[in-house]
Amino acid sequence: MSGAMDYALWIPVLPIVAFPIILFLGNVFKGTDLWRGKWKEGGIIATVVIGTCLGLSIWLIVGYIGQVTGNESVGQIGDWLSFHMVENGNLVSYSIGFGMYLDHVSVMLLFVASFLCFLIAIFSLGYMNSDPVNLDRNHRFYAEFLLFCAGMLGMVLADNFLWLFIFWEIMGLCSYLLIGFYYERPSAAYAAKKAFLTTRVGDVFLLIGLLILWNLFGSLDFSVVWAEDNIAAVDAGTLKIALFMMFVGAVGKSAQFPLHVWLPDAMEGPTPVSALIHAATMVNAGLYLVARMFPFFASPAMEGEFTDLAILIAWIGGITAFMAALIAFVQRDIKKVLAYSTMSQLAYIFTGLGAALWFANTGHEEIALLAFGASMFHLFNHAMAKGMLFMASGSVIHEMHHAHHEVSHHGSSESAERDAGVGAAGVDHAAHGGHEDHDHFDAQDMSNMGGLASKMPITATAMAVGSASIIGIPLIGGFWSKEGIVGAAWQASLTPGGAWMLVPAVLVLITAGMTGFYMSRMWFMTFAGKPKTPVANGVVEQTPFIPIPLVTLTVMTLGGVVFAGFEFIHWVADGDAEMHFTNVLSGIGVELKHAFLPSGEENGALIYLVTMLTIVISTIVGPAIAMALYGGRLAKGEKAKPWLAWLVSLSSRVRRKNHFDNSTWAESGLADSLHQRLYFDAWYDAAMLKIVVPFANACAWFDQHIIDGAIKGLEYGSQEGSSVIRRLTTGSGRDYIMMVALGTLAIFVLIWGVA
Amino acid sequence: MITNAKMTMRDREFALIAGLLAISAVLMYVFPSFAVENSAGQIDWVTLPLVAFPIIAGSVLMAFASMQPYRLKERIGQPIKLISLAFGLMMLGISSGLLFGWLESINWDLSQYNRYELEFEYAWMQSIGVSWHVGLDGLSFSMVWLTTVLIPIVMITTWEEKMGWYHHPLILMMGGALIGVFVALDFFMFYVFWELTLVPMFFLILKWGGDDRRYAAQKFFIYTFSGSLVMLLGIITLYFLQPSSQALIDQGVLTGRTFDMTQMAIGAQAAANADIAWLGINMQKALFLTFLLGFLVKLPAVPFHTWLPDAHVQAPTAGSMLLAGVMLKMGGYGLFRVCATLFPEALLEYQWLLLTIGMVSLVYGSFVCLGQTNLKRLVAFSSVSHMGIILLGIATMEPLGFAGAIFMMFAHGIISPLLFAVAGAFKHHYHTLEIGSMRGMAKHSPWLATFMMFGWMASLGLPLLAGFVAEITVLIAFWKAFGWWVILPGITLMVTAAYYIWSMQKTIFEGGDAGEMPESLGGKPAPDISMWEVSGMMLLAMLTVLFGVLPWIFFDMMTGYAFGLFDGILLNVIGGGA
Repeated sequence: MSGAMDYALWIPVLPIVAFPIILFLGNVFKGTDLWRGKWKEGGIIATVVIGTCLGLSIWLIVGYIGQVTGNESVGQIGDWLSFHMVENGNLVSYSIGFGMYLDHVSVMLLFVASFLCFLIAIFSLGYMNSDPVNLDRNHRFYAEFLLFCAGMLGMVLADNFLWLFIFWEIMGLCSYLLIGFYYERPSAAYAAKKAFLTTRVGDVFLLIGLLILWNLFGSLDFSVVWAEDNIAAVDAGTLKIALFMMFVGAVGKSAQFPLHVWLPDAMEGPTPVSALIHAATMVNAGLYLVARMFPFFASPAMEGEFTDLAILIAWIGGITAFMAALIAFVQRDIKKVLAYSTMSQLAYIFTGLGAALWFANTGHEEIALLAFGASMFHLFNHAMAKGMLFMASGSVIHEMHHAHHEVSHHGSSESAERDAGVGAAGVDHAAHGGHEDHDHFDAQDMSNMGGLASKMPITATAMAVGSASIIGIPLIGGFWSKEGIVGAAWQASLTPGGAWMLVPAVLVLITAGMTGFYMSRMWFMTFAGKPKTPVANGVVEQTPFIPIPLVTLTVMTLGGVVFAGFEFIHWVADGDAEMHFTNVLSGIGVELKHAFLPSGEENGALIYLVTMLTIVISTIVGPAIAMALYGGRLAKGEKAKPWLAWLVSLSSRVRRKNHFDNSTWAESGLADSLHQRLYFDAWYDAAMLKIVVPFANACAWFDQHIIDGAIKGLEYGSQEGSSVIRRLTTGSGRDYIMMVALGTLAIFVLIWGVA
Repeated sequence: MITNAKMTMRDREFALIAGLLAISAVLMYVFPSFAVENSAGQIDWVTLPLVAFPIIAGSVLMAFASMQPYRLKERIGQPIKLISLAFGLMMLGISSGLLFGWLESINWDLSQYNRYELEFEYAWMQSIGVSWHVGLDGLSFSMVWLTTVLIPIVMITTWEEKMGWYHHPLILMMGGALIGVFVALDFFMFYVFWELTLVPMFFLILKWGGDDRRYAAQKFFIYTFSGSLVMLLGIITLYFLQPSSQALIDQGVLTGRTFDMTQMAIGAQAAANADIAWLGINMQKALFLTFLLGFLVKLPAVPFHTWLPDAHVQAPTAGSMLLAGVMLKMGGYGLFRVCATLFPEALLEYQWLLLTIGMVSLVYGSFVCLGQTNLKRLVAFSSVSHMGIILLGIATMEPLGFAGAIFMMFAHGIISPLLFAVAGAFKHHYHTLEIGSMRGMAKHSPWLATFMMFGWMASLGLPLLAGFVAEITVLIAFWKAFGWWVILPGITLMVTAAYYIWSMQKTIFEGGDAGEMPESLGGKPAPDISMWEVSGMMLLAMLTVLFGVLPWIFFDMMTGYAFGLFDGILLNVIGGGA
């Protein structure tokens, strides 16, 4: 273990060092054949660096799992800031240090982050470098990508809340930069601004929360603030406010209601960015932060103090899950569907964490740990699945674009070809209609796709498995964790005092069915049926590098059962205990029992009913409706792979039997307001434009005309005054003598007056 | 032939700068043998090399240049710039040598009230009790180092400024005057240098400024000078309030009084130890207010700030960089050196005043920023806003708040020159400062866009850059002192992000594939920013990262200073007051 510990610091430091190097090399060698070809414009450096980080992480993790002493601080470097405060008339010295902290949660997230960063770096080699629109600016992408990796890995490893915040902000910066990667597009610039400012609101809350926390504990180190004695010594009310403020920060970062507006717009970034930052890693930071609050809730000294905060967390989760799933119903942009799905699934985890925190705070330790573990496992599953789904959608968009290029410019004159080569091949370009020569074909619109199951077998498979994991099809990835979350929420609402948990519990149950619908809708619209445009007909799966991460993640997701069998949920929750694990099969048995009957001692029957209902609506009802609306046979002569063919033919059979018309619904006011994202964006924009901006302009006016006006008035007055006084200087001797006489008289008057 | 001539010119320049560096190295080696040593065995690195040499060299160079006919000026311009730069580098070498212990082994982190390193006193105008008294502590040394590092960077950034034979010596002179303010331990000397800094800045604005430079230069001079006059009133009052001491009369001081700050500090400390207000609380409050006014005008704080935007908008790049980087810090420095050191009771009494003015500057300043459309005005008001944090740090009456405020001065001293370098380059580049008159800067000048992004991010308090350390430390102390008032700085953080991000959206981003150029260029392509500008900005950016990642290099020194101040005098006052 010690070997890995010595190098652990390099995990965040390596990418942060490589960041300026790639930028520099890119600026120097931009445009040369060697840099574009062999070096992939810095992509090779990025992949190697991230690969090294992954290797170091795995080394660290294996060493960590190999020893069973539990939490450990590694790589304590020393004081970063040291200072004094006045306490009771004395000067007390304090310091804020930097070090690394490993426990089961951070180890898990470390693996998720480094693994996905690595896979998405490989994906980018194919996706970014084969696209002419990115030519000569890919080095910027890879550099910022690495900086982001440093932020994420650093945040996971940090041993105190201040460093967590520092890396958190670095991720925010990278998110901003990468959303604005296509800086010349107004929509991207707007989206980047929106993302930064919205998360900034949350960040300021988080910062204030940390200030309060520091003043409560005199430290932000995990080991200090989590110590039972220290928690017992602080004021519960103040601590609750601090935790609430930190939670608002998490809401901003994880795009939860009401700070969710930035995430869908963030899809302006290149698809690897969406996959990494806005699906798999950064948005999990908020969840990680809330998970880090667990010890405060679990402290016996605080029992019953924070139940309302836990319920609030679950409510925010429930509301967001439902709302996002609802909006996902009407999205036609494949990335937007995934964006709302991300919001919705993160909200699931918030609900699960809310339930876990509630149980922890009311003294139900065992089920609290179970719910906590389920939430963390869902984070894991969701990250893997959603990263894969975004990459798969990127693959679809990329090939669609390529095909569109082939179709629309095939056989045309050479000059037209060259014109198009500059702008038209831009992958995400078409969605925004920024190009006159581009006849507004939207490569991200699912209504332009269809029937891709046979043309893109790897992508279709990956998409199917990923969707299954998100939906929670039994035995696949997300199933194991989602059942745990729904069960925990219901269990909490049935426990005495937990009636308020009923709303999020109902919402996540409904959302499970909705997830089944919109994820299936996406898959069938894209891959089933006949190609809806000639472009979709010409799609070929051909870009290098892209299949590698897709296949890897497909295996990972299908292997969720193995992770479950290793009793992941128990392992991640029980920070201090040794592993429960005996063997995989019995582990699966235990997990199956949990999944279908989460700790079913009390209210067992009802919980059983709920979990069964979840399975039924998410696995059968939701997908069936989607099949009835969007299913269909492939075009003649097209054959999908056998593991997809049955799905396609099933969908066409369902559709033929139950075809119904949804046009009235699609034209209703509800659908319209869903298209408008329930008007949140409009309200926020109006608040900015109608309140903040006029106020700022008024301030600027006030400054220029009143404050500076006063100074100018003084200036003017003194000038005018002096020009009046100047007239006394007449130059005539008589006047001066008169002046002297008057002055002398005045002096005498004064002297007499005083005397 | 022409290339040949150029080559020889360049060779001569290299020979010249090498020779100068060699001479300064030899001087630095020989210097100790004829320099003065104090009782602690330290050599006076301050008086001549850091204060006198730059001022003398600057004026001599200008005088020399002005004696030449114009045609010759063109030819001696480059050597004069090089000589100025060599002097700047020598100053940086000395201050870095002091920092890292190459010249004297000094532990800057240990500090005591009224105790100075490199303390030297020479008789100056003995009959009225004026002495040349210099010394450094954690507070002044950080400012001195900041000045010495900025002088060469400013010279490099503005290397191609027209009439360099006056321009660079002026900057050099400015550096000497600024260091004079920071090292002075005698009020007379302090005031002399305080006003001396106005002179080079006045000429920088007047000669190299924008269209409205006359008005701006005058406003700058008269406004800050009026503020300083009130302070002068305070200094003279302070002088006459001291009891006449027989010992000084015996030494030949006719009035028996002194301008020496350290002597006054001894009196202030003795009074605080005896639990009485030095000079009486009412007199102390009155004096405090006179000094405060002088410092607030300089800082500047709302409502005494309106000279700053005008001066900045009209000032050339070098002027703005030095103005924002170091001149504003004179105000903050004075608050510590005079107000906190000599008038602790009054400081405690007027805590609310500092809090109010600081808060108004911070919040109001940020909203005014949001209402600006001129890039330089925006950056100028952001300075006003950030200077509010210094006042808040002092108002907390916590050592952490003090240290954070000093670090804010330091960090802002590195970041704001970068901002003004960017704004100046923007002006050179596009001939306009209107935000939104052009789009897609990332396309047509990627270097400028990169540094703009970096500087803006640093200024809005991005972690691992210097500004964040200052903000977080002041805010921790602020929460302890004032609790929920922290909401207002919190709102400011959001507004700050809003105006910076908005201004980047309208300049760096957007503009389609070709980008949009401002009308001011009249269809001509924009000239690229020069390698000089790039190197200057690059150096500033590297310093920003350095002190964001390793803040302790200076933060420990500031903590030490704050500890000394509290341990020596403020703790007595707070304890007595509570």
